Amino acid sequence: MHCHGGKGRHGHAEGLKRVALVGNPNVGKSVIFGLLSGRYATVSNYPGTTVELSWANVSLDGGRYLLLDTPGVNNLIPMSEDERVTRDILLAERPHVVLQVGDAKNLRRTLLLTLQLAEMGLPLVLDLNMEDEARDRGIVIDKAALREALGVEVVGTVAPERRGLKELRQALLREPRIPRLKVEYGPLLEEYIRQVQELLPPAPVSRRSVALMVLSGDESLRGWLRGRLSQEALERLDALRAELSAKLGKAVGYYINEVRLAKASELTQKVLRRVAPQGGRVAEGLSALSMHPVGGMVVLLAVLWGLYQFVGVFGAGTLVDFLEGVVFGRYLNPMFTKVVQLLLPIGLLQELLVGPYGLISMALTYAIGIILPITTTFFIAFAVLEDSGYLPRLAIMANRAFRVMGLSGKAVLPMVLGLGCGTMAVMTTRILETRRDRLIATFLLALAVPCSAQLGVILGMLGALSVRALGVWLLSVLAVLLLMGWLAARVLPGQKSEFMLEIPPMRMPTLGNVVLKTLNRTVWYLKEAVPLFMLGTLVLFVLDKVALLQLVQRAASPVVVGLLQLPPKATEAFLLGFLRRDYGAAGLFAMFEQGALTPVQAVVSMVTITLFVPCLAHFFMTIKEYGLRTALLMVAVIFPTAVLFGGLLNWGLRALGLSL
Amino acid sequence: MEDKPCRKKRSAPELEKTQFEDEALETIWELAERGEVLFDALVEELQDARALRQMQADGLIELQGEKVLLTKQGRARARDITRRHLLAERLFADVLDLKEYEEDACRFEHAISPEVERAICTFLGHPPTCPHGRPIPRGECCKLFAKTVRPLVHPLPDAQVGEPLRVVFLATPMMDRLASLGLVPGAVVSLRQKRPTVVLSIDETTLALEEEVARGIFVKPHESEV
Repeated sequence: MHCHGGKGRHGHAEGLKRVALVGNPNVGKSVIFGLLSGRYATVSNYPGTTVELSWANVSLDGGRYLLLDTPGVNNLIPMSEDERVTRDILLAERPHVVLQVGDAKNLRRTLLLTLQLAEMGLPLVLDLNMEDEARDRGIVIDKAALREALGVEVVGTVAPERRGLKELRQALLREPRIPRLKVEYGPLLEEYIRQVQELLPPAPVSRRSVALMVLSGDESLRGWLRGRLSQEALERLDALRAELSAKLGKAVGYYINEVRLAKASELTQKVLRRVAPQGGRVAEGLSALSMHPVGGMVVLLAVLWGLYQFVGVFGAGTLVDFLEGVVFGRYLNPMFTKVVQLLLPIGLLQELLVGPYGLISMALTYAIGIILPITTTFFIAFAVLEDSGYLPRLAIMANRAFRVMGLSGKAVLPMVLGLGCGTMAVMTTRILETRRDRLIATFLLALAVPCSAQLGVILGMLGALSVRALGVWLLSVLAVLLLMGWLAARVLPGQKSEFMLEIPPMRMPTLGNVVLKTLNRTVWYLKEAVPLFMLGTLVLFVLDKVALLQLVQRAASPVVVGLLQLPPKATEAFLLGFLRRDYGAAGLFAMFEQGALTPVQAVVSMVTITLFVPCLAHFFMTIKEYGLRTALLMVAVIFPTAVLFGGLLNWGLRALGLSL
Repeated sequence: MEDKPCRKKRSAPELEKTQFEDEALETIWELAERGEVLFDALVEELQDARALRQMQADGLIELQGEKVLLTKQGRARARDITRRHLLAERLFADVLDLKEYEEDACRFEHAISPEVERAICTFLGHPPTCPHGRPIPRGECCKLFAKTVRPLVHPLPDAQVGEPLRVVFLATPMMDRLASLGLVPGAVVSLRQKRPTVVLSIDETTLALEEEVARGIFVKPHESEV
């Protein structure tokens, strides 16, 4: 989702001073990142949107800096992969200054992190963001007193309104200071800290902080230590930790956290004042309604209805009709045909561009005429949902159903985003805690979550047929989703993850962010999809020209004609489906429009193409995230599942004689 | 398993006077639960008629013909000692999950102060009976509590929506992650809803939790510090 160059390694920026943005999840680090760098980072009202490192060169008053945006953390003893990314950055890079972004209304949690950063000996500037929400809730923080207590710059901001930004820049320019706070852990623990410290290798952060991580039993630190310490030293560390745990009578990490929390509470009490709350009642009411067992269903239905109206009726209907039918059908394609025929007197080239398998007449028309309006409207709707804070509430509603599939409600974000684009969604599976959850989500995304483009085509085709046809399609896909998820959860080793999700406040989405995000996603999507449309079209064109298409159709005939009882020409659509499922669906749609598919065939082919192998890009993303073996294994399960289920549905529909 | 009276482990003469009294009072209390207590039967149980006569002289028990009755003073002591014994049994059996706890319960009943007794009773949620089903005499803390039916310390989802709660202890593998959010013993939380998923708030953080996890968070009402 970070399609702005600034991700992954950033080795070429060696010389620059680093400013690392660190903070709890969903406090607005990415907004601040965008404001300081002028570069857009995906921002949403969903904790854990930033799953990987983003970076940008920024200039503050002439000085050049490298700004790093990190995934949100609640604790610098990592509990999940994205938390680990952040901790490792602090461990690996020596930041010139850490800009801690905190939620002004949650000062205690903010300070819990501040204490740990202070312990690491990192220079710090503290930004208390979302001051407006704090004020709405009647929370006032004495920043001067906090500055005094911490010994570092403390500023307050309301990032979306750019309030406090100037002060923030100024604070960053001052000589960075290390917070002068120190947490005392009591004589017993302090003694062990001393002993562990002596064994540790040099680190870019204070040894005391590394010692505390080691004593907490931070497994993720092991790799780092192994490269730097002898086997004996490692064993000695383990022994010290076990010893301390026995003496304390409880888990060391837990004890450390309790001490820190007590300190953070003490500090909070000194600087926080409560006054009468000023507002936020409407958001509060809406929030409660959307999580209510009954009210939540009503809200969900309303959201689905709105989504259908906006994406299905307006995007896939009105806009597609206009773009595909009028713009391309009436003007562009005839014009292109004329121009091509005029400029290119070679028949084969003319056909390549504007023939039945033409790059312009088929690929481009499809990409711009159908894909663009559908995905754009979906991404707008998704951005609004995301920024309003509705999705975490949907996670609350959906948790039980997701449990059947071996997932937790937390998977709502990747699954709903999968309705926009599966490839993007695979990337966001990183917000899930365990590898098992991530694998199940990725598998289900590849199997049975149609992307918006495909969904648009399906709605268009089956909607034109009957509500019942649409119902059969929906039930089939849901059944496969639940069944295969249930099976995957049983087959995959590892424990189910417990569902725990922070619910951010409901907020009014800002137009700017919705537009920016939609633009980013749509561009990304087109970049990914259009070349594949071109490639797919080219493949069909070549196969057709060398008369291989017939051969392929004949080879696939036992499955396509025999099992699924579809016309041989449907093979073309499935061939395209190997590249992009939506393109495959569009091919079937075209056949349907020409009257080449009976209602049963229409439903069977749509269900099969929905379950069909993931798009090529989706497949590559799966390889990137989980390795070739896993990706191949998934396809090896998905392909037969799609075909077999399609066959089963065909048999069932014909046996029942259901009129569709 | 049956309640075995403590004294059977030791013979009466070895016991200190008060301890003998305690055991005797406890035995009388227990026998009285099943019906009348006859002096001869009691002597047979305790093996020490003289010490019993002494208790009568001290005003702890009185005789009505053959029947033994507790005086007001003796009654109060018998109640207390029985209560402590049975609470100890509950604690050992339910919380510590011990199988053999009788002997420990016997020692425990003499060792704890009224504060500890109240704390245990509160912690256990003012249980009405011992593990074997004998009624536990009510204490002051139970009477205060009698206004509500719920046990004082209970899993989060059993609380009422909206009331402020104090976290007493956590028993879930998610402990560390909850702690990072400030959810530790002593923290004040409030329950927002129970279905379809438990939602709680702590400070200005709202958190959705699966019922299973929420059941591992034990809370008590924030105001009523007994």
